[in-house]
Amino acid sequence: MDVLDLARLQFAMTGSLHFLFVVLTLGLAPLVAIMHTRYARTGSTLDERATRFWGQIYVTNYALGIVTGIVMEFQFGLSWSGLTHYAGDVFGAPLALETLIAFFLESTFLGLWIFGWHRLPKWLHVATIWLVTITAYASAFWIMVANSFLQHPAGSVRDGEVLRLDDFGALLTNPSLSMALPHVLSAGLTVGGFVVMSASAYHLFRRTPDRELFSRSLRMGVWTAFAGTMMVVGFGFAQFGPVTGVQPDKFVDRPLAAFGLGMMILIGHLLQLVALVLVILVKWAPRWRFLHPLIMLVTPLPFIAAILGWIAREEGRQPWMIWERLTVADAITPGLTGGQITVSFVAFVGVLTLLAVADYVLIVRIVRRGAHEVALGENPAPAPALTF
Amino acid sequence: MDILWFGVLALLLIGYFTLEGFDLGVGMLLPLTPDRDRAIGAIGPFVLANEVWLIAVAGVLFGAFPACENVLSANYEAVVLLLVSWVLRDAGLWFRRRLFTRAFWEWTIAVASFGVCLAWGLLLAGLGGFSVPFGLLYGLLVAALFVMHGRRFLDWRLTGGGSLLVTGALAAVPAIVPLVGTAGAVVANAAPSANLTVLTFMVLPFVPVLAGAQIWVWRAFGKGPVPAYF
Ligand code: HEM
Repeated sequence: MDVLDLARLQFAMTGSLHFLFVVLTLGLAPLVAIMHTRYARTGSTLDERATRFWGQIYVTNYALGIVTGIVMEFQFGLSWSGLTHYAGDVFGAPLALETLIAFFLESTFLGLWIFGWHRLPKWLHVATIWLVTITAYASAFWIMVANSFLQHPAGSVRDGEVLRLDDFGALLTNPSLSMALPHVLSAGLTVGGFVVMSASAYHLFRRTPDRELFSRSLRMGVWTAFAGTMMVVGFGFAQFGPVTGVQPDKFVDRPLAAFGLGMMILIGHLLQLVALVLVILVKWAPRWRFLHPLIMLVTPLPFIAAILGWIAREEGRQPWMIWERLTVADAITPGLTGGQITVSFVAFVGVLTLLAVADYVLIVRIVRRGAHEVALGENPAPAPALTF
Repeated sequence: MDILWFGVLALLLIGYFTLEGFDLGVGMLLPLTPDRDRAIGAIGPFVLANEVWLIAVAGVLFGAFPACENVLSANYEAVVLLLVSWVLRDAGLWFRRRLFTRAFWEWTIAVASFGVCLAWGLLLAGLGGFSVPFGLLYGLLVAALFVMHGRRFLDWRLTGGGSLLVTGALAAVPAIVPLVGTAGAVVANAAPSANLTVLTFMVLPFVPVLAGAQIWVWRAFGKGPVPAYF
């Protein structure tokens, strides 16, 4: 493999790892926020335990989202400085806005939420998880603006050798963005819904003590997965118009992209069917044990579909970095050596893969341990008792 | 406008050094700290709010000074070391109470925090065209200042006394020197003023929220019992 292949593979692998965690973050954040709001209103221990249990899963998943995101952010500068050189004046703007007005706040509010148990006033604490959710969605918006610019360089003009920002509004109303953003966000809800269903199904199947908690979560997961799959399929088909409008023949003669697209659609229909059946049976689903292993079995599918979707979108863009403006080969950092890219490949892909595996082990462990031993929001250790 | 955005870049980088400086300092001190739970509990609620300043630095570099972005590829190895160390330090915090043994992750945090300091030395020295040995020495200086700041922070947070201003200012010095040295070149490479205007209009309304959120963290976690999550 030459330098270009390695740099591409590195971006694809770190990007896929990043998205596996991000897609679940996007789906779980609103669900945890809803649970926390419910707890603040009722004050019941059941709601408290549900919030802390799902919150702990959310936060553990988030950890890998951050560390993979750190690597993504700097990778453009490391390996793709040709892109910045050619289009930094346009592409840099949404990335800058993402860090300043979305992620900066998201990270700060998440810290307040994690450590704010037993410390922040009740409703302010609830506000922090809603702010985390809103800023996470804002983050997705800006990243999709940047990505859509690569698919279709709206809002820019050629100025000699480089692209310049011409119309910021056009960048934000890019036809490549309008249906892709809701498609991605619904993919998040689909993933979130299936994960919540599946972890609940595990406990109901094993007949662990928290029957009521997990029956409720199962139903919440079913409704979320139902809404998610309906929207992901709807916005998925709605993407074809704009995509073929600005990238005609995108899936012709690009077998990997076409394969990704086809498999995603297949999985999408399957998940839609599963969610539809479950929503009809939602009343009985917590009790019908034969359903539970089936639910657990399909849970990897929405993750796989999400990665396939990115493969379709980005493979379909080849050989362009920016559609019909700049090729991937011209976007790579000039003079990048085989030694350099090998070192960073091993360092990033190796370390992040190990951490991702560790994180999934941990998430599975948290799920199995159940809702009675959750570190997040634990009561602070009681002050040592005074003896007289 | 370009000077304003250079000010933003400088503020964010200095903020990163003063804030994340004590997290990294406490990280390096861990092997010598008897009560590691309390030390990590002290920095825990601040880490997410502190490290994000560097992400913002990268964002501003991209958006306002894209032509300067090649400092990253020009210092490739240093940036890779910075990122891998940063990632491992974070992983150490998230996993310490939960996977393998605590000692393993505590050593990871300590070594990785030191790795971040060395990488900064190499990167900042690289900006001025200095040699690798000089960069390593500069990294040791960064580490020493951060350790001082970290100790001061632990005293301030756990026993409550004194101020963080002096060590915080010292921790920022290694960043201020290259900022002053490169200011002219950076400003000359700013994005076109139309871009900077868009960024200014978009970001300005959020400045009070950004500042408010950071202040909130300090008010909420500056005193009281030390929370245990990391
Ligand atoms: C029948 C179902 C589906 C259809 C018709 C569909 C259609 C599409 C289309 C046309 C694209 C755009 C490719 C491009 O821009 O070149 C896409 C991308 C994508 N899809 Fe799907 N999709 C479906 C199901 C799913 C499911 C179930 C998921 C995940 C849970 C998913 C996740 C994604 C992602 C993450 C992308 C990349 C970003 C984007 O373009 O929105 N899709 N899909």
